[in-house]
Amino acid sequence: MALVEKQLDPLFLARSYLRRRKFDSCVEICSKMLEKNPYDQCAWFMKAKALTEQVYVDEVEADTDGIAEMLMDDNSIAQVARPGTSFKKPGTSGQGTSTSQGIRPMSQSGRPVSGFVRPSTQSGRPGTMEQAIKTPRTAHTARPVTSASGRFVRLGTASMLSEPDGPFINPSQLNLAKYADRPGLNKVLFDYLFYHENDIKNSLELAALATQSSKYEDWWWKQQLGKCYYRLGLYRDAEKQFQSALKQQPTVDNYLYLAKVFVKLDQPLAALDLFEKGMEVFPGEVSLIIGSARVHEGLGDLDSSVKFYKKVFQYDASSVEAIACIGTHNFYSDMPEIALRSFRRLLQMGVVNTELYNNIGLCCFYAQQYDMSLTCFERAINLANKENVADVWYNIGHIAVGLGDSNLAYQAFQMALISDNNHAEAYNNLAVLEMRKGKVEQARAYFLSAITINQELYEAHYNLAILSEGQGDLNTSFKEVRKSLEAFAEHVDSKNLLAQLRQYFTLL
Amino acid sequence: MDIAGNMTERPETNNMYGDQSDEEDVKVTAQEPIKPAPLPKAKLPDLPIIEKNNWLIHMLFINKEFEKCKQVIKEQIEMTERTCEYALYVQGMIQRNEALIQESLESFQAAAMLNPNSLENLKQVGRSLYLLGRHKAALDIYAEAAKLAPQDPELLHNQGVCLVYLNDYIKAEECFKKALAVQKTEHSYSQLGKMHILRGDKEGALAFYKKAVENFPENSELLSVLGLLYLQMGDTQRAFEHLGNAMTYDPQNTKAIMGAGSIIQDHGDYDVALTKYRVAASVTPESHSLWNNIGMCFFGKKKYVAAISCLKRAHYLSPFEWRTCYNLGLAHLTMHQYASAFHFISAAINLKPKFAPLFMLLGVALTHLDDPSNAKQAYEQAISIEVDSPMTYLNYAIMLFNNGEKSHAAAQYAKFEMYHQKKALNDPDVNALVAKLGPILHMGS
Repeated sequence: MALVEKQLDPLFLARSYLRRRKFDSCVEICSKMLEKNPYDQCAWFMKAKALTEQVYVDEVEADTDGIAEMLMDDNSIAQVARPGTSFKKPGTSGQGTSTSQGIRPMSQSGRPVSGFVRPSTQSGRPGTMEQAIKTPRTAHTARPVTSASGRFVRLGTASMLSEPDGPFINPSQLNLAKYADRPGLNKVLFDYLFYHENDIKNSLELAALATQSSKYEDWWWKQQLGKCYYRLGLYRDAEKQFQSALKQQPTVDNYLYLAKVFVKLDQPLAALDLFEKGMEVFPGEVSLIIGSARVHEGLGDLDSSVKFYKKVFQYDASSVEAIACIGTHNFYSDMPEIALRSFRRLLQMGVVNTELYNNIGLCCFYAQQYDMSLTCFERAINLANKENVADVWYNIGHIAVGLGDSNLAYQAFQMALISDNNHAEAYNNLAVLEMRKGKVEQARAYFLSAITINQELYEAHYNLAILSEGQGDLNTSFKEVRKSLEAFAEHVDSKNLLAQLRQYFTLL
Repeated sequence: MDIAGNMTERPETNNMYGDQSDEEDVKVTAQEPIKPAPLPKAKLPDLPIIEKNNWLIHMLFINKEFEKCKQVIKEQIEMTERTCEYALYVQGMIQRNEALIQESLESFQAAAMLNPNSLENLKQVGRSLYLLGRHKAALDIYAEAAKLAPQDPELLHNQGVCLVYLNDYIKAEECFKKALAVQKTEHSYSQLGKMHILRGDKEGALAFYKKAVENFPENSELLSVLGLLYLQMGDTQRAFEHLGNAMTYDPQNTKAIMGAGSIIQDHGDYDVALTKYRVAASVTPESHSLWNNIGMCFFGKKKYVAAISCLKRAHYLSPFEWRTCYNLGLAHLTMHQYASAFHFISAAINLKPKFAPLFMLLGVALTHLDDPSNAKQAYEQAISIEVDSPMTYLNYAIMLFNNGEKSHAAAQYAKFEMYHQKKALNDPDVNALVAKLGPILHMGS
């Protein structure tokens, strides 16, 4: 084999390697060729391409909001938006439907739990620094301080290290104007600068020059300009570029990029509109449908979201995201048997992880397949890592509660706390168990821990309010019930308690 | 509120004098400079400046403009060096409204120090202590206040409430009764009723609620509680009457709806009950008892899948409710899903260990799961808890008969007949079984 390769023309071999995604070998050959002839454009082209491909991350999906972006977000147009028109204020959830907080638990940022964890859509926009630092449901932080210092810089440095004899292209020494005029090379150079070097400033300059030299007729360059502006946080400029590119040539990723800008600007309705238009041009394009579903989910409109996910199935029957989200929706709509089908399909497709086994276990339990349920949880624990084992134990606790076995429940919740002592829900449930045993002070302590960990947990606030009211400490009760209503404005029991307490407080 | 009103009236008139005199001053200087100052000027030093802004504070307070009010109070308190009683009083009220009870207590205490003879101040100090859960201290304050006004109904009522928290029911009842003798209020009645329910004295509670309803015939809360009490005592007719009245005054009263719905449901009128529940569902979508009842409505209509779905939601909302587990067990037995039924029933038994019908159902489930020895144990347990339940014996007899133990079955059947005749139940299903089983077992014995 090696012999054959030696006999081949190195240029042809390099091309073949590139096509087979053996980028290291391709780079090696190209480097040798460039040593012989530094002006070999073909080798240069292929080397740049191979290096870019090595670190390429799909720009549409790579989007983690940093703490700084979330807190100091001045991009959203309406600061006090009407309900249903902003991600900050998801529409008033339909009472008694599956979106109600009483049925479907909320993540820490106060939106219904999604079936699929993905960047940026899962998190919403937190109100306080503390909340921003915490990732949903747990207190671990996985969030970079800003997105500029996050993933992108790490990518850049990693690629620098892998090159023993200095960088392949030194952007500061490039004559960008010269390259911008050469249509064969400028695109690959741009990709190299953008993805590999992560040098947005120079990429932007190159894109601007190239756009000029193409007489503003090349949609590709406009899209790249938009990408650069987006990275720099100039969302308004990015929007203009994407719009203009879209007018020239509607492409799928153009729609996706523009929708991303709208999401950033907190204009979910505009994003939905755009997806709608995109779907007219590209009927059956899965990524557009999924995008629309995600925005609906972000707005708390789960019924529409599921409608779109179901539409995804018509074109792509093995979309993991769609299956997971529909499964979750079915589960919280009292149809565990149907949810079980979704999750089983995921398992058949080769997704094997703790979360999936955990979900299957829960579905089995609520569908009365007890024997399966426990084995699933066993598997889930075997597969679990430090981050998610607490959730599995928490769910086992729920099963035990469902079986009326309070000892097992107690132990399971304790286990959850051992693995993750910031599990607010476990604290809350432990407190409830203590309350049933009549240990009021212990219960109060657990409720207080739950509240300090997660302010949004209305259950703990309400429970503490009830507890205090029973003991005659109306002051605490009043404070807590108000917090409970802040977290979940439609909670009927809290409202009743508040009305009752208000009588005491305003009575003269 | 009376006292607060009185207090404001006084300074208001004072203030008017002040204003007039000022204006006159100006006029005098402007138009008739020669004339010496008339009487009002001599009056000026007598004005109690401390009370000067009371009218403003009062007005802002009753308009709920708390922010402005606080501002004015702050200025007033600073100016008078914490000697303005009314400002301190209103400050306490506002703080209480903001749930700053400790601070409000301090304000009221300061006001009470300034004017120890004011009943209102003492009352508010007492209430603050009560809100903080310091019932004994509150009682002391009330006792002090009672010296000023021994017949004040509000004082007596509050004393009663504190005594209830301290578990001194006899004294509490006395206090409430005294309060009611002076003035009849809904609060005193409902507190008395609640206290009796707490002590498990339903007859007593009923009497008080009856009186309360006589005096306040349009209070839906009292009506619904009375209705539910009647329901608990088994007087369905009266219960329905009162619950119906409660619903006419407040159609959204969930307590009344639930009570009335369950009565209708007991009569087998499931569709009407469901329409009642529909109203309640829009108000309290997260109520487990509501979903439980809806589930049982469907169960009665023989729509078992819907029933199980509703019951499961109830179970999801409140996993510690054994009644839902019991119903779920029953529904699954009817659906011939005995393993599931077994799990729900055993969960219910864990939550409610001493309830005979649960063991009977467990026995039925175990029978169908082909575990006769455990089934027998379950029946024996049910009998040991409740001796005179004919259904247990009947089921036991059937199970034993099917298992081939004819003589044992006949013995259980005899017991069934004994208790069945005593209770004189008339269920067509049971009668059909009796007609089938009776002759066979009698022949055998």
